[in-house]
Amino acid sequence: MSAKRIARTVIAGGAALALLAGCSGGGDTDGKITLDVWTFGGMGLDEAFATYQEENPDIILKVTNAGGSDEQAQALTTALAGGKGPDVAAIEVGYMSQFKAQPQNFVDLRTLGADDIEDTYLDWRWSQGVAADGSVVGIPTDVGGLAMAYRTDLFEAAGLPTDRDEVSALWPTWDDFIDVGAQYREATGKGMIDNVNSAIFNPAVRQGDEMYYGSSDDDLVYDSNPDVQEAFGYALDAIDADITSRTPSWSEAWNAGMNNGDFAVLAAPSWMMTYISQQAPDTAGKWDIAAVPENAGNWGGSQLTIPAKSDHPEEAFAFIEWLMSPERQLEIFQAHGNFPSTPELYETADIQNFTSEFFSDAPVGPIYANSVKSIKPIFEGPQQRIIDTAILNTLSQVENGEEPAADAWPNAMKNVTTALGG
Amino acid sequence: MVLSAPPRSSPARQRTKSAAPQPRRRIKSASRMDAFAPYMYIAPFFALFAVFGLFPTVFTFYVALFDWNPIGGQTFIGFENFVTLYGDERFWNAMRNTFSIWILSTVPQLLLALFLAQLLNNARLKFANLFRMTMLVPYITSVVATTIVFASLFGRDYGLINSFLNLFGIESIDFAANTFASHIMVSTMVLWRWFGYNTLIYLAALQAIPKDVYEAAAIDGAGGFKQFIFVTIPSLRPVIIFTVIVSTIGGLQIFTEPLLLSSPGLTGGAGRQFQTLSLFMYEQGFGDFKFGYGSAVGVTLFGLIVVFSVINYLLSRRITSDE
Repeated sequence: MSAKRIARTVIAGGAALALLAGCSGGGDTDGKITLDVWTFGGMGLDEAFATYQEENPDIILKVTNAGGSDEQAQALTTALAGGKGPDVAAIEVGYMSQFKAQPQNFVDLRTLGADDIEDTYLDWRWSQGVAADGSVVGIPTDVGGLAMAYRTDLFEAAGLPTDRDEVSALWPTWDDFIDVGAQYREATGKGMIDNVNSAIFNPAVRQGDEMYYGSSDDDLVYDSNPDVQEAFGYALDAIDADITSRTPSWSEAWNAGMNNGDFAVLAAPSWMMTYISQQAPDTAGKWDIAAVPENAGNWGGSQLTIPAKSDHPEEAFAFIEWLMSPERQLEIFQAHGNFPSTPELYETADIQNFTSEFFSDAPVGPIYANSVKSIKPIFEGPQQRIIDTAILNTLSQVENGEEPAADAWPNAMKNVTTALGG
Repeated sequence: MVLSAPPRSSPARQRTKSAAPQPRRRIKSASRMDAFAPYMYIAPFFALFAVFGLFPTVFTFYVALFDWNPIGGQTFIGFENFVTLYGDERFWNAMRNTFSIWILSTVPQLLLALFLAQLLNNARLKFANLFRMTMLVPYITSVVATTIVFASLFGRDYGLINSFLNLFGIESIDFAANTFASHIMVSTMVLWRWFGYNTLIYLAALQAIPKDVYEAAAIDGAGGFKQFIFVTIPSLRPVIIFTVIVSTIGGLQIFTEPLLLSSPGLTGGAGRQFQTLSLFMYEQGFGDFKFGYGSAVGVTLFGLIVVFSVINYLLSRRITSDE
């Protein structure tokens, strides 16, 4: 738990009230149309909003930042439950399955021409916004992609290679990754990764064809899908090999650990580059980026939706189409590191030649492009997040030594059953 | 108001004198206004209470009987939520946590408050008002700020408390991960927020105890400690009961501290080690979109608080009648 997140929660509380108060009016003045847009922190859209406002004087953008993605989801839930809603609402992918299970709350974007722009986006990213009945609930924003950010100075001290290609070659598989971690522990006495959930289970479980669901809302496979059990096994192996520094993501210790070198590797989606450089500015040039084992992964991203109560769905859709066009996404990436979800950009010089100074001039453009190209669409049902939380919590308990590793899998399955039954 | 009102005419007389002169009627309606006025004055509270207090409470009972998705459909399922709930180990876990945190925070808090009140009541204390005012600072400080500071004090790797323990060769404690340690952490925050409030209430009561009682006790040979046990405590009894009741109701509803420590996520730690009933209710309702199930938790919590309040009431009535 970090101060920043707490502050966000508080701001969000106020924001939620303001949102509810604000969205009731929607009065359009002098023939101008007001678009209520709800976003959350870290989306990197502020400049794009300003540009749009400049180019479209007849539309007034009323942007409300709810704080974090959790707060945004809660604010939107409250609004929708009260039969209200903004014109455009961003939903983080982790919450998307929960919202799209109730597609009647949103405009089916196919009625506004979503089919025409579908091919612009990564297919698996697009499918995250499609409901079970086929209606298109949300248009993808950025894609996280996934790479391993590592500290070259700490790797050098541990006698490991520091060149990014050599580091990528160290861990083609998760087993290799865990071996490297064991070497690191032997050489330095420290954990290599921040925690097993972020660095191992999350990326590994998303590398298969299926996750917790088969192909429909009723088709739960979390307990039978070998991919889930395999990813879970990697996490347990990593705990057993003692390669983790047991630092929870987003905690204060995590932010401090980036600075102090408490861990040398963390799973870093594209947008995380900005976070690391802000949290640990003094470590500039000490980081580099290598590929993630098995070479594919994603963490994060959002969809832009139009709640059914919107008074101006056409204008809202035109705005989303403009905002998430390849050109705009490239600008957002260059300014904020949010990687575009539009593959036509990936082979362009803008992406291929894009490097990051903070990360030792690593060619982050092609690295992230590679990580998202081979991902397959995964069906995510309404209880996706609940199942995920139960499994991740069990792993944390084992990682913290609060529960024995031997019972971890049956415990995780029991926790999921309990969570689903409630 | 009553004095200025003309004598009431009986309904029968009113009916026969249907063609009463105009001014008299005006007086009559004024008197009706007068009778009505007190209700008008208290109406704002009751109107707001009805909207924001009574209606939500009653509605919660209603929602608890449904499988209720806030943004989706609602299906009536009777008491199924309650049946599931009482078989749900997460519920009993939250119950245990709530009581553990409540006891760990309330007992030391009230003892500390009593002790501090005694100190602050000392006639020889200089700048007494300054110290008394200072007691309220934790109470008026935002919970969020308090939680941020305490979370960092209790941090595993960089926390001040662990650095201190390390000085004595004690290994660092992972306060957030361990069940009992996390209860200590949450309780400390609750204690910090409320001890000043209770201190001032005790202090006010202490100052109301007549001096001659102490003088009489002193003449009878009672020392400071004996005076405290045999004079102070019995005199404070009604106030102590009051603080126990208020702390009980508050303690059963502890929410903000565990919520903020839980972030991101609503489970109160990976093992739900410091998830209270209120946080469990919030997790079910707003995290997992199970309003019906969350309401069932709310109704149960409501019942629990009613039971405790009744016990407290009976207890305090017995103690008062003893006197």
